[in-house]
Amino acid sequence: MKREYQDAGGSGGDMGSSKDKMMVAAAGAGEQEEEMDEMLAAVGYKVRSSDMADVAQKLEQLEMAMGMGGVGGAGATADDGFISHLATDTVHYNPSDLSSWVESMLSELNAPPPPAPRLASTSSTVTSGAAAGAGYFDLPPAVDSSSSTYALKPIPSPVVASADPSSTDSTREPKRMRTGGGSTSSSSSSSSSMDGGRTRSSVVEAAPPATQASAAANGPAVPVVVMDTPEAGIRLVHALLACAEAVQQENFSAADALVKQIPMLASSQGGAMRKVAAYFGEALARRVYRFRPTPDSSLLDAAVADFLHAHFYESCPYLKFAHFTANQAILEAFAGCRRVHVVDFGIKQGLQWPALLQALALRPGGPPSFRLTGVGPPQHDETDALQQVGWKLAQFAHTIRVDFQYRGLVAATLADLEPFMLQPEGDDKDEEPEVIAVNSVFELHRLLAQPGALEKVLGTVRAVRPRIVTVVEQEANHNSGTFLDRFTESLHYYSTMFDSLEGAGSGQSTDASPAAAGGTDQVMSEVYLGRQICNVVACEGAERTERHETLGQWRNRLGGSGFEPVHLGSNAYKQASTLLALFNGGDGYKVEEKDGCLTLGWHTRPLIATSAWRLAAP
Amino acid sequence: MAGSDEVNRNECKGAVPIHTWVLISNFKLAYNMLRRADGTFDRDLAEFLDRRVPPDARAQEGVSSFDHVIDTSTGLEVRIYRGAAAANNGAAGAGAVTLPILDFLAGAPSPDPFPVILFFHGGSFAHSSSGTAIYDNLCRRFVKLSKGVVVSVNYRRAPEHRYPCAYEDGWTALKWAMSQPFLRSGADARPRVFLSGDSSGGNIAHHVAVRAADAGISICGNILLNAMFGGTERTESERRLDGKYFVTLQDRDWYWKAYLPEDTDRDHPACNPFGPNGRRLRGLPFTKSLIIVSGLDLTCDRQLAYAEGLQEDGHHVKLVYREKATIGFYLLSNTDHYHEVMEEIADFLRANL
Repeated sequence: MKREYQDAGGSGGDMGSSKDKMMVAAAGAGEQEEEMDEMLAAVGYKVRSSDMADVAQKLEQLEMAMGMGGVGGAGATADDGFISHLATDTVHYNPSDLSSWVESMLSELNAPPPPAPRLASTSSTVTSGAAAGAGYFDLPPAVDSSSSTYALKPIPSPVVASADPSSTDSTREPKRMRTGGGSTSSSSSSSSSMDGGRTRSSVVEAAPPATQASAAANGPAVPVVVMDTPEAGIRLVHALLACAEAVQQENFSAADALVKQIPMLASSQGGAMRKVAAYFGEALARRVYRFRPTPDSSLLDAAVADFLHAHFYESCPYLKFAHFTANQAILEAFAGCRRVHVVDFGIKQGLQWPALLQALALRPGGPPSFRLTGVGPPQHDETDALQQVGWKLAQFAHTIRVDFQYRGLVAATLADLEPFMLQPEGDDKDEEPEVIAVNSVFELHRLLAQPGALEKVLGTVRAVRPRIVTVVEQEANHNSGTFLDRFTESLHYYSTMFDSLEGAGSGQSTDASPAAAGGTDQVMSEVYLGRQICNVVACEGAERTERHETLGQWRNRLGGSGFEPVHLGSNAYKQASTLLALFNGGDGYKVEEKDGCLTLGWHTRPLIATSAWRLAAP
Repeated sequence: MAGSDEVNRNECKGAVPIHTWVLISNFKLAYNMLRRADGTFDRDLAEFLDRRVPPDARAQEGVSSFDHVIDTSTGLEVRIYRGAAAANNGAAGAGAVTLPILDFLAGAPSPDPFPVILFFHGGSFAHSSSGTAIYDNLCRRFVKLSKGVVVSVNYRRAPEHRYPCAYEDGWTALKWAMSQPFLRSGADARPRVFLSGDSSGGNIAHHVAVRAADAGISICGNILLNAMFGGTERTESERRLDGKYFVTLQDRDWYWKAYLPEDTDRDHPACNPFGPNGRRLRGLPFTKSLIIVSGLDLTCDRQLAYAEGLQEDGHHVKLVYREKATIGFYLLSNTDHYHEVMEEIADFLRANL
């Protein structure tokens, strides 16, 4: 074992022969069939074994170019300008792919291109913490009829938040609630009192997200994060899981007994845990007692959904992150195009688009002419919300002098869309063809409730030949065939979500009581999420529309339908991080890059993933 | 200059296997971009480039992990690794893995003694995290060789959080570990805690161990891998090896400047524990140490002096000096250094459990 080193060229790197080897290998095999070096894969880097020597050589070249490695470090020969350029202006993509990462930096060396278009109008060198980059957020006030709840609101100017808490008094000990001994389910130790101020009470979170770069022979990771919690919290989670297990086994008398315990156990908790338990307990009860949500009061439903959505948008960064990162990808895809068309699969109040319009207005060379197709569900009242959104966006576009057209499409399901509906009107043979972006925020998963619907929609997307497709989805598998797994996953996921709302609401105050934290936005957001919980747990079949799947699963679906990934880069990452600095409790939020996609999560648990796609080469 | 640079590079390439060269050069390159001359740090790019893995409650090669927030006021998080037998049998869904974790956390002391390795990852106080792939990998290795539990601490980093934040977090983690029933074992049901770390993590382990000794808390042992120490005067190895094997004095100086309080120098006791402003440890119930030193690490003199200092003060030191090893040799399993050092660690754990 000891002597079996997995080394390609041995030490000292004989470059010449390795290169030949590489060329031969490339000629022979397809990309996918090349072996990734296992040792480096285990530490997060994807390098083909046959490329190893080549990567080493490139690293060396780059080192020499940066003037590194000499005695005295980056001394007299160091090219600080180049290093700084690589850090600040260069956009980095997919750092796991060492070969192309190093290659792209080498090509910067040879011919640095103009900086990539970005949403910030000023180059924002984000120093550790403070929000810089003033340009992006300074939108003119949107024309709005302030009486309407659906008025477009500009993203507010950044409060320069010092993102780093002063080193908090970490000698203050959290109260030790747990007593030892006994397995939790049989323990009958006294119920613990609450740490009134800062109860971070959600328990475990887990999900099988994107497949890891490292060897995962058993399949995708099941990450679990446990917050410090009193013992009663563990009993509560036990009860919820045990009840779900009983439901799965169709042991409804046991389920009944357990579901009745939940309110009492939940009441001993505070904050997020209590609310999450309440929603899950209620959803379980509905399932146990066959209490289906009243089918389709859709007239009321769509309006309520939009209302809650708007509050969710305000109270936490998830939707803003989604819009922000998707817009960045769209902006880059539209570089140099004079006619662009965005298809929004779920326009709602159009909150995503002012920022993109603004960025396009400010880009060098001026804005393109911009067409927006907004898809929305049928409404059964007189107000035509879909058209109103378009009108408001048109007014906004007018104030920033962007040529703007809008079309609203009513569709009960995206599967009703046909390619011809997305074509431009009229005969425009003389004009430059429009470049299309398709944007889907939390829409694709609904299609999984109807067999064939996703395939139909992806076919429609392919048919319009978009330059880019941006997809934002919940980063969780809530679509497992096994009820218990679905229940557990969603319990973990929403515990984290609720926890982050709690954190954002109370900020850094030490005496916030749960009722005071956050206000209306938080409460409405919880209702918004509560509806999802109910759907995941209590519904089945076509009614169960909250069929969230992970990035890894979406990759398989999209990859198998003729799409290939477009990587989101470090500029989107940096700016997303800047965005987060605006939010209270900003420290808990975490942006991560994974295989070219960006996720936003709470602590180490990713919750939302943005990915971008284009048609794969045939 | 060009000539000698090239000589340096070839010597360096000749000293390590190609995988190691690629990995460490990649870090060197990336880190160069992150350190700014004015002392600030490009944290966003650092986080973007950092290769991380999520915890995995499903056993991978016999080891499973989960993240745990141990201090809600600071958000201090650790990643806990344990063997699969304790976890689950690789069953499929989240439902199957969650309950065992809850049971584990709420569990009683185990009759069979096992070590608890409190691990502090390296990164010169500024880089990496408990979720960084190189460290996740190393911690999994530690579980396998120790048959125990590894707790990897996600301490606050410089320059955003200077001294003493990292030490405070280390202390918080130690106190937490000492007070958890599920981490106790043996007939006497006590926590058998080892402190360990590489680079800045080694430095943290030392300082937490001192504090433990002062407080009368008994640690089974310290395991230091290329622990990070410094001083204002240059040592012989620092002069000889500057810029030769991935590391330069300039970058070392930068990291100390970013960690130490402003207006102090490298003779601050955090950096130079037995230096002019330091404190000798004679008479203190300081734990036993396994000190691993790479001969091609430019600060090896300091690490050797540290080991000597402990010995002079009457403390037990097992020194493992790998003359031809560079920094980071313990990250990949492709050298004798790696395998022999892992055995030393396993022996030390066994002997001091």
